[in-house]
Amino acid sequence: MKTRPLGCMTFSALFFAAISAAVVALAIALSGGSIFSPGGLSGWTQPDSAKLVSTGGVNSHAELAGRCDACHAPIWSGQKMGDRCVACHADVAQQSATGAGLHGKLDANAATCLRCHTEHHGPDASTTLADPMVFPHDQTGFALTAHLRPAAKDPVGCRGCHTTSPSSYKAPDCVSCHTKLDAAKMATHTDTYGAACRNCHDGKDTYGHTFAHTTYALTGKHAGAACASCHKGSTTIAALRATSTTCATCHAKDDIHQGRLGQTCGSCHTPASWTGATLDHATQTTFALAGKHATAACETCHVNRQWTGLGTTCASCHAKDDPHQGKFGSDCASCHNPADWKDAKFDHGTTGFSLTQAHATVSCDKCHANNHFAGTPTNCAGCHASQDKHNGVLGTSCEGCHKPTKWSDNGFNHSAVAFKLVGAHAGVTCEKCHAKAPPASTTTTCVGCHAAQDVHKGSMGSVCETCHKPTAWLDVTVDHNAFPFKLTGAHASVACSSCHKDSSPKNTPTACASCHAKPVTHDSNFAGVCSSCHTTKAWTPAKFDHATTSYKLTGAHMAVVCLKCHAKPTVTFAGAPSICASCHQKPANHTGAMGTNCSQCHTTKAWSPSTFNHSNTTFKLTGAHTSLLCTKCHKSSTTFAGLPTACAGCHNSPSSHPSFYGTTCTLCHTTSAWTPPRYAGSHTFPMTHRGAGSVCTKCHTTTLSAYTCAKCHDPSTIEGHSGRSSSNCASCHPTGSGGG
Amino acid sequence: MRYSELLISLALVVAITAGYFAMTASVGVPAASSLIGHLMGVVGFTLMLLTETLYSLRKRAMRRPRGSMRAWLRAHIVMGIVGPYLVLLHTAWTFQGLAGVLTLLMLVVVGSGFIGRYIYTAVPRTADGAVIEAQELTEQLTALREADAADPNPTTDAARREHRSIEGRIRKLERQLTALRWQRRALATWHTVHIPIGMAMFVVAFTHIAATLYYATLLR
Repeated sequence: MKTRPLGCMTFSALFFAAISAAVVALAIALSGGSIFSPGGLSGWTQPDSAKLVSTGGVNSHAELAGRCDACHAPIWSGQKMGDRCVACHADVAQQSATGAGLHGKLDANAATCLRCHTEHHGPDASTTLADPMVFPHDQTGFALTAHLRPAAKDPVGCRGCHTTSPSSYKAPDCVSCHTKLDAAKMATHTDTYGAACRNCHDGKDTYGHTFAHTTYALTGKHAGAACASCHKGSTTIAALRATSTTCATCHAKDDIHQGRLGQTCGSCHTPASWTGATLDHATQTTFALAGKHATAACETCHVNRQWTGLGTTCASCHAKDDPHQGKFGSDCASCHNPADWKDAKFDHGTTGFSLTQAHATVSCDKCHANNHFAGTPTNCAGCHASQDKHNGVLGTSCEGCHKPTKWSDNGFNHSAVAFKLVGAHAGVTCEKCHAKAPPASTTTTCVGCHAAQDVHKGSMGSVCETCHKPTAWLDVTVDHNAFPFKLTGAHASVACSSCHKDSSPKNTPTACASCHAKPVTHDSNFAGVCSSCHTTKAWTPAKFDHATTSYKLTGAHMAVVCLKCHAKPTVTFAGAPSICASCHQKPANHTGAMGTNCSQCHTTKAWSPSTFNHSNTTFKLTGAHTSLLCTKCHKSSTTFAGLPTACAGCHNSPSSHPSFYGTTCTLCHTTSAWTPPRYAGSHTFPMTHRGAGSVCTKCHTTTLSAYTCAKCHDPSTIEGHSGRSSSNCASCHPTGSGGG
Repeated sequence: MRYSELLISLALVVAITAGYFAMTASVGVPAASSLIGHLMGVVGFTLMLLTETLYSLRKRAMRRPRGSMRAWLRAHIVMGIVGPYLVLLHTAWTFQGLAGVLTLLMLVVVGSGFIGRYIYTAVPRTADGAVIEAQELTEQLTALREADAADPNPTTDAARREHRSIEGRIRKLERQLTALRWQRRALATWHTVHIPIGMAMFVVAFTHIAATLYYATLLR
């Protein structure tokens, strides 16, 4: 698809654009630029005809008609529109230069003409269309803030104030306008502050209805008071501000105190009301009101409205009420406080007798009967003698034991005396010990109190504490080591009564037998000294040191029970035989041949294996010999030494051996095994020659040193060997094969 | 919705009118040279300028299309209504000199735009808005006529149904082709009015803007 050109780039569009541009250019040329005019020029003329001549040669802008360049200077001229304005309006230029007139006041210049002045709004329109919202009216000394929106509901136009003289804009008459709005208020206002409104008002409502009276807050009745009652005659801000803020300035004439209480009214009075004055008695007088004083009517003290010169002591007012008739002096406050007369708080400590504990709560008359105060005794007995439950036995220094809390709170510190109360003593009543004698002379020995209770009937002496403790009589801890018979081992844990059958331990024998009966297993051979075998640790096992006898126990002997050895045939210890055979039966395999010297082969470590070292003999046991029973060779007990060591001593020559083999068995046999035989000597001819098969007799028929081959080979039948000996073949046939 | 662009335009016009009346009630009719007046003129003219250039560019950017033609036409219509309306408010109801001529031209262009819119939418289009060319329709028609001529006297029922269907489609295409030719002529005629007057309007508008800048800003 062929891309068409943009609509504006088509011939017709560009053509029309060119035509339009030409038409516009023609119109501009013909109209002299007036086709751009947004509207006709103003026909307004100066009312003052005298000025007609001086303003650019025309009476109104309308007369300029199409001369746009009269105001719109060509760009190349370097002038702005404002420059064209002042070129004609020379009077305005002069005002700007000198600061005189309205334009001078407004700081107007060529650049700011357009702020107020406009054109092109038709022949009837004014050239001055200053928007009050924009017009810098504050530069005239009076801002329009309060007269325009949003401050004012109905904003005023220029003519609203400048009614009579719109051209000169003379200071307007505020009062006439504002009187129409609120006549009554304006009447009061002008009566108070005068009619020169702008003395105070700047148009921003700074001193208007929103004014905050902050420098002197209006509270109480001041809030509703008429301004004039304070500010009467102040017609300027300076005068308003100079109004005195002291009470007396306004209120001196009303002072019912006639100046007697000074001029600082505010120290008692508030703006809320003259009556109901509140005096801070604490800070403003020398007498703070506390307790009932605070609520008492002023006249109770200030009788006949006498406000000053009153005494501050209690007696100055209360002397006539004293029920003590002056006995306690005039310092009431030492006991009484202002809250209540009856709430008297006498510090008894000042009398030298502090009231503590139970004394603090009893009523005074308990001690001070009949209002008798001075001379009351301070010792306990002074009051409590009649209550003495000890009937005077414990003396009169009650405080030694009793505390002021209560009588039963008996806190005598017995630890402070020589006899400290511990254990069961701490819980008994005092009278238990002190009934017989006063505390000072009460005995401190155990028997002093406990003699009647002695179950030992005196046998243990009088030093009970050697065994007994104060916790309980039966809590006995005896250091038996202090006695000749020390308790060790199992003795330490048995009950005392196990040994001490009666209550006189001193006479209890110390020998073992006195307590321990001889067991039936022990016959008369036991000397009776149990301890030589037994310890206190345990009765069994007995611990006899056999090493002290001539027979030391070693090896397996250490583990066997005594009676294993010492009961044969009867239980016998001393003189028991020490040879092995006395205890050990000869075993069957010895068949009596080994004799009775067992230890030659056996140890106490174990019966078997026996441990005879055959290597120490002339016949070492090797090979199969090591595993044989001794009796295999040693047939009887007498045949240990001197037994033949030759093989034949034990081994018989077998029937298969010809007699010429002799008795040197070791020539062919070893101890490792009897068979098969192995000739160990030198044999040059192969023993496995043909059918020989290592059987010696195949070749050796009569003696081992000679041989014959005739059993297999006949020289007569062998070529060239006829006549040769059959016993010398090896000389030619050393290996049994071929000829040499 | 078929006329959603008109409803959007109407909503915007109503909203702008409400704001305009609120302002008129408080400070009076905003002058063309006031802040609001100038704002309305500048925004309105910018919318007018955008609606012309962006839509024209999209119409020709077939190779790299951004959005459908239908969406762009709707945007063109909304901006083409709201823009001129703001410019109309910018006049402060004073029709004088070149500015008055410009207002008249603008009204003519907007009016012709409304008419053009209906001619334009009558032209058959593919789903994405591309114009179906007469050539395509002619090709489809030729193919159907050949298919029809191959078996002018069908004997079976199925073939007869097929024959009727083809003849129906031939008649529909012939009608479309006739309508397309008329619409193309109408659209061409419309283009010769809408675009040249638019061009004249833009020439005058730029002259107006230049004069404003010169007299009211540069020479101030």
